[in-house]
Amino acid sequence: MLSFIFRRLALTAATMLAVSLLVFLLLELNPGSVAVKVLGPYSSEEQRQLWLEANGYLNPLWQRYLEWLGRMVTGDFGESIRFKVPVAEVLWPRLWNTAILAFWTFAVLIPLSLTLGVLAGMREGSRLDRAISITSIITTSIPEFASAVFLSAIFVFGLGILPGTSAMSNGFDPLQLILPVMVLVLYDVGYVTRMTRASMAEVMTAPYIRTAVLKGIPFPRVILRHGLRNALIPPFTVIMLQINWLLSGVVVVEFFFAYKGFGALLLEASLNQDIYLIQACAMVAVFVAVTTQTLADIGYTYLNPRIRLQ
Amino acid sequence: MSDPTKNPIHPALPELAEKARRGRIGRRDFLRTAALLGASAATAHSLLGVALKPGSAMAAETPKFGGNLRVSMNVMDISDPAIFDWSQKGNQARHIIEPLVQIDKDNIARPHLAEKWEASEDLKTWTFHLRKGVKWSNGDDFGADDVIATFRRWLSPETGSSNIGRFAAMTTTTDTGKKDENGKPIKKTSMSEGALEKIDDHTVRFHLNTPDLSLPESMGDYPALITHRRFVEDGANFIKNPIGTGAFELKEFKVGERMVLTKRKGKYWGGDVYLDQITYIDHGDDPAAQIAAFASDQVDTTYETGVEQVAAIKSLPMLDLYETITAQTGIARFKVTEKPFDDRRVRQAIQACIDHDRLRTLLYGEYGAAAEDHHVSPVHPEYAELPKLKQDYAKAKKLLAEAGHAGGLKVRIDCVASPSWEQNACKAIAEMCRPAGIDIEINVMPGGTYWDRWTTTPFGFTNWTHRPLGVQVYNLAYRSGVPWNESSYSNPEFDSLLDVAGTKIDPEARRADMAKLQKILQDDAVFVQSLWRSVFVAANKRVRGLYAHVALEHHYNKVWLA
Amino acid sequence: MSMTEHAAGHLPPPRLIRILRMVGLLRESPVAMIGAGLIVFWIAVAIFAPLLAPFDPNVNLQPFAKPGTPYAAGSGVFWLGTDHLGRDILSRIIWGSQTVLFYGFVATASAYAVGVAMGLAAGYYRGWIDELLSRLGDIILSFPILVLYVVIIATIGASGINIVLAVTFASAPAIMRIVRSLVLEIRERDYVAAAKMRGENAWYIMLVEILPNVRGPLIVDACLRMGYVTITIGVLGFLGLGLPPPDPDWGGMINEARSMALAFPHMTVLPCIAISSLVLGLNLLADGLREISLRD
Repeated sequence: MLSFIFRRLALTAATMLAVSLLVFLLLELNPGSVAVKVLGPYSSEEQRQLWLEANGYLNPLWQRYLEWLGRMVTGDFGESIRFKVPVAEVLWPRLWNTAILAFWTFAVLIPLSLTLGVLAGMREGSRLDRAISITSIITTSIPEFASAVFLSAIFVFGLGILPGTSAMSNGFDPLQLILPVMVLVLYDVGYVTRMTRASMAEVMTAPYIRTAVLKGIPFPRVILRHGLRNALIPPFTVIMLQINWLLSGVVVVEFFFAYKGFGALLLEASLNQDIYLIQACAMVAVFVAVTTQTLADIGYTYLNPRIRLQ
Repeated sequence: MSDPTKNPIHPALPELAEKARRGRIGRRDFLRTAALLGASAATAHSLLGVALKPGSAMAAETPKFGGNLRVSMNVMDISDPAIFDWSQKGNQARHIIEPLVQIDKDNIARPHLAEKWEASEDLKTWTFHLRKGVKWSNGDDFGADDVIATFRRWLSPETGSSNIGRFAAMTTTTDTGKKDENGKPIKKTSMSEGALEKIDDHTVRFHLNTPDLSLPESMGDYPALITHRRFVEDGANFIKNPIGTGAFELKEFKVGERMVLTKRKGKYWGGDVYLDQITYIDHGDDPAAQIAAFASDQVDTTYETGVEQVAAIKSLPMLDLYETITAQTGIARFKVTEKPFDDRRVRQAIQACIDHDRLRTLLYGEYGAAAEDHHVSPVHPEYAELPKLKQDYAKAKKLLAEAGHAGGLKVRIDCVASPSWEQNACKAIAEMCRPAGIDIEINVMPGGTYWDRWTTTPFGFTNWTHRPLGVQVYNLAYRSGVPWNESSYSNPEFDSLLDVAGTKIDPEARRADMAKLQKILQDDAVFVQSLWRSVFVAANKRVRGLYAHVALEHHYNKVWLA
Repeated sequence: MSMTEHAAGHLPPPRLIRILRMVGLLRESPVAMIGAGLIVFWIAVAIFAPLLAPFDPNVNLQPFAKPGTPYAAGSGVFWLGTDHLGRDILSRIIWGSQTVLFYGFVATASAYAVGVAMGLAAGYYRGWIDELLSRLGDIILSFPILVLYVVIIATIGASGINIVLAVTFASAPAIMRIVRSLVLEIRERDYVAAAKMRGENAWYIMLVEILPNVRGPLIVDACLRMGYVTITIGVLGFLGLGLPPPDPDWGGMINEARSMALAFPHMTVLPCIAISSLVLGLNLLADGLREISLRD
């Protein structure tokens, strides 16, 4: 087990390295356009030359990459062109905000979808199962931006009971979290529910379950004692992987509700060609995604006795 | 709302005001007429920029003290006022530090920190008399030393301030003797010796190398805010040391999120200030977020409301909408040195396809003013009225055929992705050119990438912001060889006529020259102009004393909350 | 049924049988039928767009007309109203279906072409080819997908081709993984071994022996993936990184009209329904097909 973990971590590090190369090449290949982006379109050729020289852009590519990598690893992400402060100063608070959003999204999503999935899967083909499945498919067909428009129209403009933006300008306001969380949950609940349902349904057909039923153990006990433990293993990994999905989902939701999170930051950076911010956001996003994937792999291996005992 | 019988307005005035807002009659004409008809100056001015609901009361109410004005606007870094490059930054700082001259909402340069000014006959020597009794927030007296220190900093190339171009008449460009990697000589621009002269503690004289009639207007531009004389010694960071002469002080600043200003503790030279606090809230780049914020009463006003949101704003019952016609515009400009646009007939053909008034209606509905392809706006004091351009497809086809494109022409225009009105303008222009056989492909470039090539693209749509004087725009954009001459237009006759116009400080006297200059640009079809944009500012009905400024400046000293 | 029996003329041609069998199979699952119905509906709309759309989708006619308003300056009715530039929404949705289906299909097909090729190679050859392709795939898959799109499009700009490229780049690794695992299952089968002994070359085996036998799960995945791609194109249009004007694109329509949504709901709600129904159709079809294949 330990060697497995070790290998996975090494793989993670290698992946991150390759990703960093990709990000660096994508954004910093052409020093001239970097200078234009940093100094602005009205800067003179003279200013750009001075800046390029002062910041090491006239060095060979591989040298620039290694120096950049060194800075990245120590957390020095450079200075944001748009905000004119060190990237780290803007990035970490925003990431924390997204973490809060993620936390509440999962707090609602996980219980909800696991419950629905178990209910649907334990009696496959029943009316409840049909209803839950159809609803799940429908909700996953509505893109987040569409449901954001709908929910906003209903709760902000129509009923007027929820705030229209979530900028949190007066300190933390839980009301402003409700709509963003709703949109995220609405989109993903269908997927996790169906994964749970499929896993549950499969477990229900296992011989030991049928044996338990035949032995006369009451049905709820069968589920709770025998069924759930194995049924919940795949959903566990699915949920870990939702973090990857979430990092995508928040881009639209944070943009829409003006929530000061990581996704909105990345989008703002891209639309404004703030290279260093884009790089830092991309690297951090990938790091979080890769780490959760590794944890999911390790967790799945650990929890799944079939693999663990090999 | 107050009793209309208290301050009756002549019935002809609202309609005249409407015409003035559209640019059909000159603003000065309207102001003169309004005065003749007995309206007070305050009433006349508020008619020009007032809410678009007819019959709303304009009479004076008693202002109330207190309250927090919440404004939705990008909160940007303002640590160095000399290098401001976005007008939002000017708005953030202007409550704290102030300019010598302020452009008022009717596009007229008015005294602010400078009480009055005179120019010599040759327009090369300007004497500015500074206001007395103004104090900095740290107790120091405001005076000539502050102005001179600030100017000196602007004109020094190391600062990197755009003011070095704005006040180019005070600078000298010398050859440093070094050469860059292409062998071209490296030049250095810096302040000319003796450009700034302190006459006494409250009088500064500027000695220019070339005549500049727009010096006062330049001093009213948003990057020209005066900082304390010890700004540099104290660390050159305005956020750490927000010492100012203005009515507000900096309380809290978080870039990208919010900025809080509170009323100055000491006395303010400009009289009563009603608001206790101003809060700027950053809602990101999404204009729809502002509408949502209005709907849930999270903000009182915003930096700007785009024309596409006007309909939405009007449907929210708690909001007022303020409009002003400006000299802001977008031009679809040709590069006259590149094919196929080097042939004047091609440019004129495209120009002939445009119905300018319909273009205005398509983009701005009932708002804005039709443009005439010469980049001088009805709000410019020296604007000369020319015969209207008409849409003429027969003429367009004939010109195209003469130029050798009888079978049609296919071109591509570069344009930014956002704001959307620019794309819409390109779409509308493309639609209008189609019947003449001209196929315009629209190349949308996201974010800042358009600005990598706005001066080099053969055909591009460029947004030009408001400038108070027509000659300023001509000097910036159409004089041969200047950095922002994106069309590479070079016409010696135009240049010399522009020099002549630049010596006449009275806009009336300039008008005849402007008529000729405008006609030259129009005939040469250097660009197709979309329209003169109105700017809109939406605000909650409880906000009083607000107006839409031509350059979207925030003058909140006399704003109050009902 | 062997080829000789067909040739003898006793039975209808094999291809027709296969199609009938597929339709018959579909009937086993009402879910798949509904899904297929929705998709066929939109394909029909896209194909017959010139006949169905009452107006030109790009011409400015009458701004802000409510649904059901007749065209003041001519004949016809704006059944779904017009937008802020006076364009008929019904026509834009109809013509927009061409854009969405075209780019959705092309992008998915392109991603499949690349992904299947990579997956076949990785699964069949194994060894260093497999290692290399899998690592590359992992790297790209480690990006949260919208992060990847935003970075790519912000760098190379938005256009039809660029979006297809971005989608291909982002989706091929996932497809590769699926194909690869399917190939690993099949490569030990008898008919593959037989072909090898016959001396057929690698690509023949991959394309003729292996690929047809993995098409079941791939078709299901293709439906789902086209749904994701449709949403992605919608999201990119919504964020301002989408297809360029003037052609109607549902995501772009929603974004343009978003701030006016409360005053003129028809401008946003209708494209939302359009895009959701298409994606729903794809999801239902995928689900139904999976049900059917499990039942076999």
